[in-house]
Amino acid sequence: MSNSTNDLPQATEHRLEELEKGLFTSDLSVNEFLLIKEVGFHPVGFVMGSSIYHTGIQARKWSQSQELTKLTEAMYNARELAMTRMEEEAAELGADGVVGVRLDVNYYEWGKDAAEFIAVGTAVKAEDGVSRLNKAGKPFTSDLSGQDFWTLSQTGYAPQGLVMGTCVYHIAHRGLGQTLSTTGQNVELPNFTQALYEARELAMTRMQDEANELGASGIVGVRLEEKSHQWGSHTIEFLAIGTAVTKSAEDVTLTKPVTIISLDN
Amino acid sequence: MAGPTSDLPEAAQRRLTSGAFSSGLSVSDFAACLEMGLEPVGLVQGFCAMQVANYAMGGYTMGGFAQGMTPAGAQGGYVQNYQCPHGMISAEHRMWGQNYQQTWIESAWRDGFNSAYRRMIEEAQALGAHGVLGVVDSVAPLSDTGVVEYHLTGTAVTILDGPAATSDVWSTYLAGQRLAKVFEAGYAPVSIIAAVASIRVWASCVTEYLMEGTNFGWSNTGEPTEIDQIVSAQTNARDIARARARANLHGDALHGASLEVATREFSRGDLQIESRLRGNRIRRFKDFDPLAVPKPTVRLS
Repeated sequence: MSNSTNDLPQATEHRLEELEKGLFTSDLSVNEFLLIKEVGFHPVGFVMGSSIYHTGIQARKWSQSQELTKLTEAMYNARELAMTRMEEEAAELGADGVVGVRLDVNYYEWGKDAAEFIAVGTAVKAEDGVSRLNKAGKPFTSDLSGQDFWTLSQTGYAPQGLVMGTCVYHIAHRGLGQTLSTTGQNVELPNFTQALYEARELAMTRMQDEANELGASGIVGVRLEEKSHQWGSHTIEFLAIGTAVTKSAEDVTLTKPVTIISLDN
Repeated sequence: MAGPTSDLPEAAQRRLTSGAFSSGLSVSDFAACLEMGLEPVGLVQGFCAMQVANYAMGGYTMGGFAQGMTPAGAQGGYVQNYQCPHGMISAEHRMWGQNYQQTWIESAWRDGFNSAYRRMIEEAQALGAHGVLGVVDSVAPLSDTGVVEYHLTGTAVTILDGPAATSDVWSTYLAGQRLAKVFEAGYAPVSIIAAVASIRVWASCVTEYLMEGTNFGWSNTGEPTEIDQIVSAQTNARDIARARARANLHGDALHGASLEVATREFSRGDLQIESRLRGNRIRRFKDFDPLAVPKPTVRLS
């Protein structure tokens, strides 16, 4: 990485300089582009951030369900780095926000226990010149499509940031005695219920904490994702992710949708 | 888990008291929610990890797995026997077959689902919500532990300018414009309805040959023929699920029902047919407001 203050490689800065001359790139569809323009924004460039992160090793107890805090921190920090770099690219372009953010994790054969966390999206700028930066003074981010961005603006809400919370949890193996004691029975396993319940709740709480830091009034489009990555089936990452939104001061009268019948086949 | 009033983990109670609301609604559903005068107050979830018995408790009645015997766990449920019409005895020729209802699997599903549902509603009550919409349920094995997890999520909402919420929280799988149309039609959601039926098929010789297409010579026809045993199992799986759902309606209507049937083959001639019926229990609260005449459209793409 370069030694510049914003952490971006030289190739990126060269590409962004070209975009600053007026040419824009985006991964928006034509319909999305039109809807973004309709609500007063203009795409200024396709932006991305990446982080290749060694996720490390954490000892886990065979018969104990527990959060693996080092792995939780690693998964969280890696995504934050990728998101921050994407936001820096957007800031370089003078953008007010990034729409259509996709956050992926890729694994490669050349890096055992290493993963590439990548965030991509389309930076947009308000055409009226009024800043739409969020409470942290950064471009807002959201995983909303152009259609969703338009619809949200009609409700009087504005995106503040893509917020997330994660929790990597080790699920205990069942001992022979435990298995035998419940053989042939339909029974709830309270320890498993409690552990997994807590893991999901922790991920969701952390996501809500991020939203509160942004002064958001809510989060829309929350997704709960579960992946074992490369840790084996007993270690699961619970990821909660959504777009934090704030309500604008004005009261909005929502347009009643028109009913249609499609005559297409 | 502790008793009903403190059934939620401490992490859930901490999350539910934090400031910003969260919702699993898409932006379109969120907009429709506001249009209906409903305000999201939080994403709520319920969870239950269950061990499900692999086989009928107590083994087979009358001391073994023989002709006419049924698993003890299937007692009181649907059982149907199929006799061999050929009168021959051979290790490779099945002399009898049987369909039976796996009541212990249905019972486990009901316990797990209901526990997860109750916890989701408890979270909604803790938020002071009137209802939960956009419910999503899932049932999946938990890694390789032999445990099945039941998970329900939904978005808790309050009615803007509505009366104070009570402990009677409504729920629905619907969200967005589909829910808006239910309200416009004069109905209000009461609760989600979910029912499951599980039938095991131990194929008789005739069923086995018909399934494999080697019936010629045994049935003396070679013509396309209905496979009675499978038809009966499929029909009963659907009927049992439908009867259970109907029993939970208590005079209300069922809207947006979907019936999924999954067939799993364990080995040759050994099948499990499972049907799941989901829907929304709704109740009329006002007369139907006729919808505006739909506008015919043609897409120019």
